[in-house]
Amino acid sequence: MASVTAVRGSRRKRMSPAGSRLVPYVFVAPFVVLFIVFLIAPIGVAIANSLFSQQAAGLGFGGVERVFVGLDNYVRALQDHEFVVGFGRVLLYGVVQIPVMMIVAAALALLFDTGLVRGSRFFQFAVFLPYAVPGVIAALLWGFLYQPSVSPLVGGLSALGIDADFLAPGMVLWSIANVATWSTVGINMIILFAALQGVPREMYEAARIDGAGELRIALSIKIPMIAPAVLLTTLSSIIGTLQLFNEPQVLKSITSNIPSDYTPNMAVYAASTLDRNPNLASAMAVVLGLATLVVSVVVLRLTRRRNGVSDGV
Amino acid sequence: MTAKMLYPTRRVARFGAIALAAAVLVSCSSGSDDESDTTDEAGGGTTTLEYWGWVPGMEDLVATWNEANPDVQVEFHRMTGDDGEKVEAAVDAGSGPDIVQLSSDVLTDYVINDRVQDISEFVGDDESNYTPSSWKAVSVADGVYGLPQGVGPAAMMYRSDIFAAHGIEVPTTWDDYLAAARALHAADPNVVIANLSPTEAAQWQVEVHQNGASLYGTEGDSWKVSVNGAESKEVAQRWQTLLDEGLISTVPMWTPEYWAAVNEGRIATIIQAAWFPALLEENAADTAGNWQVAPMPSKDGQPAAGDTGGSIVVVLRGAENPEAAATFISWLDGSDETQAPLIEDGGLFPSTLNGLESDSLYQPQPFFANQVINEVYADAVQSEPDTWSAGPNFATAFQAIADEFSKVVTGQQTYADALDKAQEATVADLESRGLSVAD
Repeated sequence: MASVTAVRGSRRKRMSPAGSRLVPYVFVAPFVVLFIVFLIAPIGVAIANSLFSQQAAGLGFGGVERVFVGLDNYVRALQDHEFVVGFGRVLLYGVVQIPVMMIVAAALALLFDTGLVRGSRFFQFAVFLPYAVPGVIAALLWGFLYQPSVSPLVGGLSALGIDADFLAPGMVLWSIANVATWSTVGINMIILFAALQGVPREMYEAARIDGAGELRIALSIKIPMIAPAVLLTTLSSIIGTLQLFNEPQVLKSITSNIPSDYTPNMAVYAASTLDRNPNLASAMAVVLGLATLVVSVVVLRLTRRRNGVSDGV
Repeated sequence: MTAKMLYPTRRVARFGAIALAAAVLVSCSSGSDDESDTTDEAGGGTTTLEYWGWVPGMEDLVATWNEANPDVQVEFHRMTGDDGEKVEAAVDAGSGPDIVQLSSDVLTDYVINDRVQDISEFVGDDESNYTPSSWKAVSVADGVYGLPQGVGPAAMMYRSDIFAAHGIEVPTTWDDYLAAARALHAADPNVVIANLSPTEAAQWQVEVHQNGASLYGTEGDSWKVSVNGAESKEVAQRWQTLLDEGLISTVPMWTPEYWAAVNEGRIATIIQAAWFPALLEENAADTAGNWQVAPMPSKDGQPAAGDTGGSIVVVLRGAENPEAAATFISWLDGSDETQAPLIEDGGLFPSTLNGLESDSLYQPQPFFANQVINEVYADAVQSEPDTWSAGPNFATAFQAIADEFSKVVTGQQTYADALDKAQEATVADLESRGLSVAD
């Protein structure tokens, strides 16, 4: 021990240029290693897997061979009608759910920021609380509220003369959206609220002197000032939407109106576990990853052009 | 990433683990048995077998075995939830157990992917103690890949109070069944004769099996898929009539919604396997005394039953000592000593002849107004057609059926259409694996 300290001490005094050039790499190494092992390597394995197929012959009892099939799995994935429809479904879902969720989150954040709400700490906590409930549990809870025989919600609506079927084929997508919105409004509200806290208060005073009302301040000053936070939350919501899995997968167990390939992510899961075809599932996963990337980049480009927000993203 | 590539790694790891265990054991063991197996040389005659299963009470049976067989020690791991899918990954990665319990439906897939060992040389003599259909479930392509542990003969549970209240006879033929369905629904619009869950294809499987069909067959060196065969279409026609006339409900099974309907007496009959009565009792305790069990209705009133498939216990690819594993399974599933615990604690319906003769099988059930219900199920075993055979992508076929049936209950297509689409999906999946499929 003593000698190590001594060596380190003496080295520090005459650190060679080579040594100092090495230091940044040492600091960056842990991240790079984890990044490669847990992100780059799995993507590489998935891409490699997607180019192969397990092939047997005849009845199959002669053994299974791993064969290079090029892009065959991709062709099959894209020819899979339900898989492609799944993308359309999550896009439709996103176009409706994300704006609704963002508007609710932003409205709540602005409301809390005005300081007009009594007991705002309590209400902030109440809005945030659902986020602390894991997605699977949230879906289970709402699942009970959607089933007519056990749901006080359906019972109450029917007492009012409203015949609600939350699990009907056309309705179930919005029931899923409701669960997701309930779960994520809180965290997005907190992020936007934190951003609002960073806006210099003098700007509001200046606006008030110029005769702006609270609504005008909210729309013309607050929202533009927190645009980067809005973009961040929107982007992560879009990614979450394309990867929609927990809620529909859980609700699938209580309704027959959610098939096993309802969303792209569920289709990937079904291909790998139910159909026992990890190669096809890898191809589907790569397609899903690419789609997510493309949508994210497009959204970034569009907003950057419009808002001039480019830094940091 | 084949099992073969990784096999040596597993061998090394396993060897290390056993050597370690041996170092502990050697001090108290005399090292009596001297077998040729490398593991045993290192282990001083002690083999350790890892066994994964889900049957209740298995811990006690394994303890009994371990006490009587100091040189073949079994370690039991209770499977829950998605462990079934974990087994395949574990075997392929070379870290699977030696012995595992499986649904008989998936065995063909395991054989094709080289995940199980042929143990016919060790268990050939056991055949005479098993029912022919259960033995068929472990026999794939000239090999015997395990031993049966329970079967799923089906019968009809019915609400005797509801039938009595409306003065309706309990149906014995499918024609009577349809008539009873109409009479029940006319007498009380809240009551349906059955809930045909689109997501739980077991009842469909049972009725198709009863009708002498099978999802799969072979023709020479090709698979023959009959998801939409004539026998299946006949069942589909019956279901379509029931659905079109609004005589059934279509709530997904196992949901709170389903059990609420059962508890409220909105479902008059349930056609399900011998393992279902225990679940019914557990989930609808308040309806005790109102249920009875009768044979499934059939075309002509003659006894004919279907089966939901049973479970089997197999020796996996990585097992170092298949003979010891086979000996243990042979004792566990077939010996006189284990039959009563498997029936009473495990809730299994026996696939063995000595099990079918066991007194513990024929106890009156208070929930069923003290009827000896297993007499009905034992008769069902005898009357099952010998036609059902498993195929290579059973899970895919069943998922396709469930997905397509779901569109039937929302009125998007008919049961017949659904079967055609499921057939197409099943064939396409087989072909994508390079397997040949007969037209």
